[in-house]
Amino acid sequence: MYSWIWRHLPGNGWVKALISLVLIIAVVYILFQYVFPWAEPLLPFNDVTVDNQ
Amino acid sequence: MRVIVRTVSELCITVGTVIVLFVVYVLFWTGVRADSVMDEQIERLRAQWQRERAQPLPGSPLGPRKQRPYAAGRPFAIMYIPRFGFTWNKPVLEGTDPDTLRKGLGHYPHTARLGERGNVAVAGHRRTHGDPFKDFPRLRCGDAVVVTDGATWFTYRIDKGPYKTVPTDIEVIDPVPRTSGYTRPGRYLTLTTCEPEWGHSHRLIVWAHLDSTQPVETGKPEALRR
Repeated sequence: MYSWIWRHLPGNGWVKALISLVLIIAVVYILFQYVFPWAEPLLPFNDVTVDNQ
Repeated sequence: MRVIVRTVSELCITVGTVIVLFVVYVLFWTGVRADSVMDEQIERLRAQWQRERAQPLPGSPLGPRKQRPYAAGRPFAIMYIPRFGFTWNKPVLEGTDPDTLRKGLGHYPHTARLGERGNVAVAGHRRTHGDPFKDFPRLRCGDAVVVTDGATWFTYRIDKGPYKTVPTDIEVIDPVPRTSGYTRPGRYLTLTTCEPEWGHSHRLIVWAHLDSTQPVETGKPEALRR
């Protein structure tokens, strides 16, 4: 999977490494900004009220 | 065959990395975010109170400021609990939905307002989102819970707690809370959080009664002086 992505990135080795880094940062950003805030309330740490009022 | 094995193992590593990142998010990042968001709420409140003091509402130049209804999701008070440390102060917002509790402590809608007859009920996170009520079990009888709405300092004194109960026990936030030991109507305050620390099977409760009030112009109440 990752080797397939690597092969399909344009440019030489340095350009590929740079693009990979940008991609990784973008994925982490999306996870922290959108995916984790959505998933976090599914965990029990939010239940601090009686009868979920 | 080799491609399949490699792809599956790559996927496993990816899922593992995402799980580790999620743990970092829950344990660390929500705290970082909560600290700045709560500071921002407190700043906003102080700025608002300053403005109101500069331009008192017409009709009551010297009398107590008329209380406005608490707006859902907005801060209306700052709470201090000396037992949690002298630097511990958190904004109190109206409502107890997860989005509100991310920004501070949440006041149960339809419970009494500060200083009023009845029961002021406030919920807070024990863990994650800045761990506001992390030291909840250390609260003892006689501890002060000081709240200000910008015009008045309200000093509540804890009478009973921490009391462990089940999440469906909504009578703990009644105007005269059941099992609190109070028998007559009065001016009470109830704090709730989760128990155990990382779980949600139970709730921890403390009850307090209004001990004293004083206008902000007279300075900090006794309980907050070092």
